[in-house]
Amino acid sequence: MSWLDRQSFLGPDSDQVLQDLTVGLVGLGGGNSHVVQQLAHLGVGGFVLVDDDVISETNLNRLVGGTLEDVLEARPKTEIAKRMVLSVNPKARIAFHQAKWQEVAEHLRACDIIIGGVDRIIAKSELEAFCRRFLIPYIDMGMDVHRLGDAENFLVAGQVVLSSPGTPCLRCLGVVTDNALTDEAAQYGDAGGKPQVVWPNGILASTAVGLLVQLFTPWHGKPVRSAYFAYDANEGTLVSSDRLRRRAGVACHHFPDTAVGDPQFDIRLLFDNSPADCEEVAASAQNSPVGWIARFAIWLRQKLSSR
Amino acid sequence: MNVCLKICGDLLDAVRADLHRPHSFAHERVGFLLAAAASDGQGGIMLLVRGYQTVADDDYEWHPSVGAQIGSNAMRKAAQASYRPPSAILHVHTHGGRGRPGFSRVDLDSAASFVPGFAETAPRMPHGLLVLSNDSVHGLLWAGPDRPAFPINSFKRISAPIRADWSDK
Repeated sequence: MSWLDRQSFLGPDSDQVLQDLTVGLVGLGGGNSHVVQQLAHLGVGGFVLVDDDVISETNLNRLVGGTLEDVLEARPKTEIAKRMVLSVNPKARIAFHQAKWQEVAEHLRACDIIIGGVDRIIAKSELEAFCRRFLIPYIDMGMDVHRLGDAENFLVAGQVVLSSPGTPCLRCLGVVTDNALTDEAAQYGDAGGKPQVVWPNGILASTAVGLLVQLFTPWHGKPVRSAYFAYDANEGTLVSSDRLRRRAGVACHHFPDTAVGDPQFDIRLLFDNSPADCEEVAASAQNSPVGWIARFAIWLRQKLSSR
Repeated sequence: MNVCLKICGDLLDAVRADLHRPHSFAHERVGFLLAAAASDGQGGIMLLVRGYQTVADDDYEWHPSVGAQIGSNAMRKAAQASYRPPSAILHVHTHGGRGRPGFSRVDLDSAASFVPGFAETAPRMPHGLLVLSNDSVHGLLWAGPDRPAFPINSFKRISAPIRADWSDK
């Protein structure tokens, strides 16, 4: 009997697959506060939590897990998320960084998937580019409240996009556009707090978690590596967007297959010539004649130096 | 040191299809994966496959003891492809079947001969040797011609579903 027994339909090895996963969550506001809670309940084992902000009073309308006491303590959102995970799964592996994600990007490289809960279009674009460079699937969530004409009527809408290497990107799908980036840049510092509420975030976050689960422990025979779900809270609908269907079979030219990795990488900088390093590497070699020669060389060098 | 090798599923399928093509006299085909590299932020290395270099039929040579081998022309083409952008070269072939494959003595001897050449062309990158089965993979990596090999201990097939063992199911 395990605490995950009721989700065994996700596959015979699903507990282990989810336990082995490391998920990066960038931005731990309204959207990702739902996501981190659900991932903890699912039994996801590893988290890299990144947000530079502390909780404020105006976050309390939507930040799941946040309390009035957290506001009074000006608690970092990363700590609230960490507390949420550990309250469900004390064995979870958690790295958390109260910083802008670009400052700690290296810690996100080993993530199996990254979920973005970032508001700004430029942030979505940059985070997706990072993910493409390291062949990491990226799930983007976005929510907006639009005034309808001059009346006191509003449209609450949003989208969830799964962007995997080799599939249409946020630019291909019209989520990131030059106009949107220009408008955003023009409003920089003047935008104020965007309207946000808890229930659309919950729907978008649940959709994002569903996309993650079908990617790693699919419960049906047709998992997808690319998705665009559009949410209309006024109509109460969540539908697969035509934008994705229109891109079917069209290659993404924004992220060439060759544009991966660290262009400055130099393996020689990872090794100094200390015997300890060589020993560690040699000990890990298996079935390699070159490895045996190196181990013999290290042994010989140690013998000679001990004389 | 942890080494993780990631490849997109479509490319891996194409590699397997290429390696399974019959050749007039070579029992096993080989190819070369070209990979970018990066630190993984935890003291290890990530290799990110960016392309595949097939070996042309004419670049196989008859060899009296092992039956067939690839000639210097194939090595030259692989080294050329790895030059810009600098790429790790992973010599790859398949033993077919299922389960974790292993290297033969011939595989390891050939690595000892080609790794120094590749290291000369792209000294900033590690180079290595992979062997596939139909549902798994095994690999070794060299950080330089005078350094011992170490195993590639994590493989990820980026597709749907994402698999950690390079299987297609």
